[in-house]
Order: sequence, then structure tokens, then C-alpha cells
Amino acid sequence: MKTMIKWVGITVIALGMVGFVAFLYFIPPFDFIPPEEISRPAGEAGPNLGAIADPGERAMAERGRYLVTIGSCGDCHATPGPQGPRLREMYLAGGFEMARKGAGTFVSMNITPDQDTGIGKWTDDDIKRVLRNGLAPDGRAVPGHLMPWPAFSNWTEEDRHAVVAYLRRTAPIAHRIPAPLSDAVLSDPAAQEEVHGGKDYAAVNR
Amino acid sequence: MVRSRVTFVFLLLVFFSTAHAQTISSIDGGKLYEARCASCHGKTGHGDGEDAGFLNPRPRDFTTGRYKFRSTETGSLPTDDDLARSITEGLHSTSMPSWKSFLSQEQVRALIGHIKTFSPRFTSEQPRSITMTSEPPATPENGEAGRTIYEKLKCAACHGTDGRGAGKIAHALTDDWGRATRATDLTEPWAFRGGNTVRDIYLRFRTGMNGTPMPAFGDAATEPELWQLALFVKTMGRKPLWEMRGDEVANFYKDQEQRAASDIVKHGEYIASISGCALCHSPYRADNTMIERMKYAGGQRWRVNPFGDFVTYNLTPDKETGLGNWTDEQIKTFVTKGIRRDGSRMMPYPMPWPNYAHMKPDDLNALVAFLRSLPPVSNRIPPPVRPNIFSYLAGKFRLLILQEDPPVNNYPGNAGGGAQ
Repeated sequence: MKTMIKWVGITVIALGMVGFVAFLYFIPPFDFIPPEEISRPAGEAGPNLGAIADPGERAMAERGRYLVTIGSCGDCHATPGPQGPRLREMYLAGGFEMARKGAGTFVSMNITPDQDTGIGKWTDDDIKRVLRNGLAPDGRAVPGHLMPWPAFSNWTEEDRHAVVAYLRRTAPIAHRIPAPLSDAVLSDPAAQEEVHGGKDYAAVNR
Repeated sequence: MVRSRVTFVFLLLVFFSTAHAQTISSIDGGKLYEARCASCHGKTGHGDGEDAGFLNPRPRDFTTGRYKFRSTETGSLPTDDDLARSITEGLHSTSMPSWKSFLSQEQVRALIGHIKTFSPRFTSEQPRSITMTSEPPATPENGEAGRTIYEKLKCAACHGTDGRGAGKIAHALTDDWGRATRATDLTEPWAFRGGNTVRDIYLRFRTGMNGTPMPAFGDAATEPELWQLALFVKTMGRKPLWEMRGDEVANFYKDQEQRAASDIVKHGEYIASISGCALCHSPYRADNTMIERMKYAGGQRWRVNPFGDFVTYNLTPDKETGLGNWTDEQIKTFVTKGIRRDGSRMMPYPMPWPNYAHMKPDDLNALVAFLRSLPPVSNRIPPPVRPNIFSYLAGKFRLLILQEDPPVNNYPGNAGGGAQ
């Protein structure tokens, strides 16, 4: 009798485990969350523009926010945390690692108006230039496949201006971004594994 | 002893100063070109660098020796000074920056020397400079006279009577490379590529813009008439956004919306460029250049841990493999909610539909209209490939049971050419 109970117990536990694994395998990962819930943070992130008194400046900043949102700037200029990008408290503060063969490792910039670590000291023209052709004020160029400035090449000057007006309104966040690593990192497999957390990077990297 | 030391230091100084002078005069234009120009203009100067596929307007193809911004007769080569001007000043409202603060005069000269090697015309021909009359005063009479020249030369056919670039034949314009091009909006002088002084504007009529549908009017109008026209065009400029205050801004955006509604395909292309659709939905060659005839036809591979490798979809209206059989509503639901035609759900990354969920309805409609206007390209997209079952299960466990936030898309920009 005792052995039977034991075996039934083992079977139940085994079936439970198999069932759990099957559940994990087949269940689609995001279907429990309604799409509106998933897209809500992107719409809520950023400063409160309603507080701007001048209707002209407000309209301009709102246009800028719209462009920054549908341009997905915040997806790369995000600060990754243990729980994913920290949209709320680190909006546009950068720190997201990206790499490309032959170009070195790049870390997304802090594009908040912080004086020391962000773009607070950049002129309007500096910001507009990097949006148009990837040239930072120090002359460094960011590859077009990382910062997609080539796709933005036909933006009007006025939309570019609206983006600048909006970025200036975001909360300044002190978050120092390291300079891009050198090409040497990418040719050294051990360093690469350390930076990207896996060998498979080389296999899929074009 | 002291004396010999002084001589030694002197000699040392002489040596270093001459060495320094040598490095300046022997700048390697080719190396500089490769570092600074090739990503757009291409290593061989064909205007086909790795970023070229996205650029609008396109980077110059140096191999034909045809240049838009010159002070020379139509069809002729540009002078070195013309090229230097384009490099140092940049071409406004394009991705060609002003290199003034990044390159020295000597470096610019070295670059020009290298750029000229791309076209054999520079060895066999000489630039034929125009003889330019002096600029007349900007009197109201001269401006008014320019208005009649604007009519006489039929500028409105392309640029429109209001100068906004929406003339009758403006939509059908193509450049010498067969690519669609547009007539410049004359009310936005800050976006004039070659500058917006009266002299700059005059030069565009006088010399033409080679490679584009803009002809030279040196034979069709007299010198004073061309100057008057330039003075008139100069008066067409409107107030830019950055000088507007208060309600002017709101009115400006209202006007922009109306203009967008008048040509929704063109507006949709603009929205697609803001959203960066083509960045992911286009296949690439091994050398990182886009396969341009397959722009928007999908085929990039994205690794999204732990869910596997996903290939971007074909957005062209091909019936079999693209969006041809999707209804407008299905496309819009997918773009804003990540719900596929069969009702299955898309992850919130790498396709950033949670951002597109905030797109204005008019912009979304325009985007769909633009995608429908693309030439259909047959490119069957393979289904996603899952990683090994253990990392897949572990990833899902972290997401669903431990309730960790979705990981950021791990490797943006690492897509492989899915279909060639």
C-alpha cells in the first residue's frame, strides 16, 4: 500500500513537471498582457509638456516628443536594468551596448540635457548634425547602422528643430557613458564573450 | 660646448618643423576619403556606400563627373573651389555635413584630389567657368520683374506657382540615375542645398544642376533677368519654425497636416523614414550595403534571446510573400498592437510596435498608403528559428514565472542577409 502511494505520488509529481514544462513551451509569452498595457509606458515616458506656458513652445515640444516616440529613440537610448529598460527614472539616459563587426562596441549616449554626461553642452546645431549625419561635436562618427541617421536624412529642418526643443525639456540625468571600445575587443573572442555574453554573436553578426 | 648644444637644439627644431611640414603636404587623400566619405559615397566613388541605400537625397556618384553645385557652364566639370565649397560648407538639409570644423584646408584639398580620380573626365577636360555679371541691388522693382521671369521660364511647372515644389509635373521627376527626385520647395530657403544667398540662387539658374531635371537657363533668359529671378525667389522664403512664436506654431502644424493630406503617399514615405522601417525590413549584402531593389522586402535576421532568430517581414505589396493580401485594417492592427492576421501576438521587440501604437491615425493611414505604393517584390520570409529547448524554457521561466521584465532586444544591428 505504502509503495503504491509512493508511486502514485511520484507519477503525479512527474506528470506535474512534464505538464509545467509543456505549459512553458507552448504558452505564448506576452499573450496575458493586453497590447495597450505593453504600449502604455512608451506614451507616458518623458516630461510633462502641459506645464509649458507658451503655446508655441508647447506645440513644438509636443511635435518633438511625437517624433522621438515613433522614431523609437528611447529603445536604444535606454538604460538597461535587471528588469529591462528603465523608462521611467532613466528616460533617454543611454547606456545600452551595441556592437557591429569592424566598428567596435558602441554604447548609446545619454541624450538628456545633463551638463556633464548628457548633451547639455551641445549646441542646437551639434544635435541637429548628429541626427543628420552621425557626426559628434568631437568629429567622431557613429555608424549608420547603429544610430540610424541615414534613415533620418530627409527629415525636415523644422522637425529636427522640434526634436531638439523636446530633448532640452527632458529631465537631466547624470549618467556617464563610456567611450566606444576599440575594434580590438571584437577580434578577441574572450573579450567579445565578456562584452556580449555569448559566442553566438559572431555567428549572426553580418 | 654650450654652443654645440645650442646648434644641436636648433638643428633638432629645424628637423621637426620640416618633418611637420612634410606630414601636412603629404596627406593621404585616399585614406581620408575611406575614413570620412566612403560610408556614403562608396569606396569606389559610385555613391553606393553602406549608408547610401537610406539616404534621401542620395550621395553623389563621383564617377560621372556630374555635379550639381558649380560655377561652371552646364555639363562642365566643377572647379576645385566649387568642390571645396560643397565640402567645407556642406549641402544644407542633406546628410552631407559642413566639414569646416573637422577638416583642415589641406585635408580638403587632398580629398578633392582623390575625388577627382574617380572620373576620367578630370584628366581630359577643363572646367569652363561662366562669366558672371555683378549682382543688382535688391529693389522691389527687380523682385517684381523676377516674378514675370518665374512665369516666362515656367518655373511653376515643377516648383508650383506658390513655390512650394508641388507643380504639375513635380511628381514625375527623375534624376539621371532614374531615381525619383523632387522640386525644391522655394519657400524654405534654409534647405537650399547649395546655399541661399542671391548669388547662390542665381548660380543654380545660370549653371543648371547637372544630374537633376533642373536645367541651365543661360540661353532662355538674359543675365539681368536671371538676377531678377534670383531676387524674386529670395523673397519667396517663409518664416521658419524656430522664429515662430505662440499661435504661429500651431497654425504651422495645421498647415503641415493639410499639406500631408494632399499627398499621402509622399507623407507616408516620410513617416516610414521617421519610424525607420527600412532599417530592419531590407536585406543586406555581406559588405553591409543594402540590396536596394529589395528595400522594404524584409529578410534581415534578428536574434532575440531566448526566443530565437526572427526574420523581418516583406512589407511590399506582393500577393504571395508580402502584404498584398493584407487589408489596411490588418496592417494597422499589426503595426499598433502587434497582433498578426491569425490573431497570434508579436513580442514587443525588436519591432517597436509599442512605440508605433502612439502614431496618429492620419500618419498611420499614410504609412499604409505608402507601403501599398511600393513595387511588389517576391521574397518569402522563413519562419523564426528557436534556440535550444533549455535556454528557450529558461527564458520563458524568467519572463512568466519570475515576472522579470522582457529583456531588451539583445543584438540590434546584427541581422544577416536573409534572402539574396
